[in-house]
Amino acid sequence: MKILDIAIKDLTRSFRSLFAVIFMFGVPLLVTGMFYLMFGGMANNDTGFNLPQTKVVVANLDEGGAGFQMDITSLPQGTSAESLGNLIVSVLQGEGLTDLMVVTLADSAEAARQAVDSQEAGVAVIIPADFSQTFSALEGQAVLEVYQDPTLTLGPAIIRSVLDQFMDGISGAKITVNSVLAHSQSSDPALIGQAVQQYMAVSAQAQSPDALVTSHAPDAAKQETSLLEQIIGPIMGGMMIFYAFFTGTSTAQTILKEDEEGTLPRLFTTPTSQSAILSGKFLAVFLTVLVQMVVLLILGRLIFQIAWGSLLPLALVTAGIIFAASSCGIFINSLLKSTKQGGVVFGAVLTMTGMLGMIKIFTMGMATGAALEIVPLFVPQGWAIRGLVQSMQGAPIGDVLLTSVALLAWSAAFFILGVWRFQKRYA
Amino acid sequence: MQPAIEVQNLHKSFGELKAVDGASFNVPQGEIYSLLGPNGAGKTTTISMLSTLLRPDSGDALVMGHSIRKDPMGVKSVLGVVPQDIALYEDLSARENLTFWGKMYGLRGAALKQRVDEVLEIIGLTDRQKGRVSKFSGGMKRRVNIGVALLHKPKVIYMDEPTVGIDPQSRRSILDSVIALKNAGMTVLYTTHYMEEAQELSDQITIMDHGKLIASGTHDELVKIVGQMDRIRLTINAEGARVVTAWKSTPGVKQVTAEDGTLNLLVDDSNQVLPRLFDAATTSGVRITSVDIQLPNLEAVFLHLTGRALRD
Repeated sequence: MKILDIAIKDLTRSFRSLFAVIFMFGVPLLVTGMFYLMFGGMANNDTGFNLPQTKVVVANLDEGGAGFQMDITSLPQGTSAESLGNLIVSVLQGEGLTDLMVVTLADSAEAARQAVDSQEAGVAVIIPADFSQTFSALEGQAVLEVYQDPTLTLGPAIIRSVLDQFMDGISGAKITVNSVLAHSQSSDPALIGQAVQQYMAVSAQAQSPDALVTSHAPDAAKQETSLLEQIIGPIMGGMMIFYAFFTGTSTAQTILKEDEEGTLPRLFTTPTSQSAILSGKFLAVFLTVLVQMVVLLILGRLIFQIAWGSLLPLALVTAGIIFAASSCGIFINSLLKSTKQGGVVFGAVLTMTGMLGMIKIFTMGMATGAALEIVPLFVPQGWAIRGLVQSMQGAPIGDVLLTSVALLAWSAAFFILGVWRFQKRYA
Repeated sequence: MQPAIEVQNLHKSFGELKAVDGASFNVPQGEIYSLLGPNGAGKTTTISMLSTLLRPDSGDALVMGHSIRKDPMGVKSVLGVVPQDIALYEDLSARENLTFWGKMYGLRGAALKQRVDEVLEIIGLTDRQKGRVSKFSGGMKRRVNIGVALLHKPKVIYMDEPTVGIDPQSRRSILDSVIALKNAGMTVLYTTHYMEEAQELSDQITIMDHGKLIASGTHDELVKIVGQMDRIRLTINAEGARVVTAWKSTPGVKQVTAEDGTLNLLVDDSNQVLPRLFDAATTSGVRITSVDIQLPNLEAVFLHLTGRALRD
């Protein structure tokens, strides 16, 4: 009973602190809200996700190549192209991309760059005069210039992605054509142009705007998979985990704080056992993080419409996160001599491990590589976000369970070491 | 009747420092017993061992028959501790603090509520019970600090310098409450470095210095140690060293100590000695700027026993 009394007292104190409440709930919501607003979610009533349109100015200077001057090929969706440059313009102006970009044409490269410099456009795409010709040449390497407003990130990234996908497609075809021509012992540019022209008909179908930016209707059997959830869900999850570890650590710091303020020694003068006092303090840490996690999960759902996943996997992962964050806090504090060391240690350790564990979240998924899959698992935050994302993506319960067990293993290690050190200190 | 507290040759060292060096004393039930000494004398270390916060290196103590070594829970159950520094939860109200600490002493339900009401009445904070402690004055915090120790109606209360850093009115209130506790039948072990408090409150006093008990007894018994000597406190306009040698050899002067332009002297008869002191000062080129004559008291005893003033 006294354990609960101590825990309730600590909870009361924690939630009476305006700073603590803002730190626990306000900051994670605020940061997520900023991303949410950045991606325009608030402005729309529908549950889908809409990016702001990017203004693109295209200077198509392409004069076509040998093969392209032979005839004009009608492309799917009524698109006509007599050069690769025209094809790129057609793709960018395609109906499927009108939600993402507004494309205008410029007469010259200078005019296109000027439009970006004067912030009339966010991105300029400059197609050089010899673009088709260079592309048609056997050894040619056609280069597109993308000139962007340095203050923009997402819009230009989308434009680059569309162009990359398009160029990758036709480059693949060129490689194939080159291989064929190499076997036929011919290097006639007209022949190459014809081959490419034939490819364009096929490729344009494959590379139609709809195919470049794919969107799938929600699968009735799964959770909503809107872009909003794909982006905001992990961000909110990351913030939740990041601040849950801070909360666990700062709440566990009340053991040291009470020691310094004299209330812990005074507790030791009451007929309450040391193990009951420390257990009460530890319980308070778990309960504080529990309240924080539950409130943030609910608010995340209500405010940002985040689908956290089914109840069982979510409960498993959340329990794992709560135990890991609390135990980590107890362990870190058990290493400190005084609260004065806390600020520096918390800032360094939790920020570094948090960023390491959630590197994919912080880089918005732009950083990739095998190392980025493995390195986060060296810290508990990495397992935590992995579990939360698994829950959100509806991963098999076995996967979620494995992640939760890993989190509990972290928790057990932290808890045993932390409790051992505190018991030793106050023995 | 067995003593409320029996201290038997307690020792406690921190590294090379002997904080408590062989303390032995008995505190009879229902009395106020003071440990008097300057900061660092070992009073708080003694209290910490007697409240089971610190384990003695050797020796033992019995509190209402419970050994601090063998039965610490028994000691805690009969004991109320008022720590030197205020040990309260400042973000909780006075009532919330008392309620929480009452639970830690094992009180529950209606009994707890009733006792909290009584203690609020005792410490005079019934009308401020819902106020957060952080908003209280130093004196009010001290009163709540004492109130916590009274919740379970302990047989023995330790009060470790409870009047440090508070205004005279609150100090008076606390001293009155200590006397009230004695009148209610409680035994009070009181530590202080204020001679006046020990003199006013105590049935018995033990003087501590450098971890050792250097004298024990009632106020009158202790004062007899210095006989009928008067204590003269003088301030001068120059370095004390210039006149100390001359004064030490002045007839009737028993002891001279200097601190920050102030000199403390123990003399046989101040009426006879003072004119000689003025003469010696004039000869040494020193001007006496103030004179304070005190009758024999605990400060004089401490000075006599240690060669230093109590507030050093």
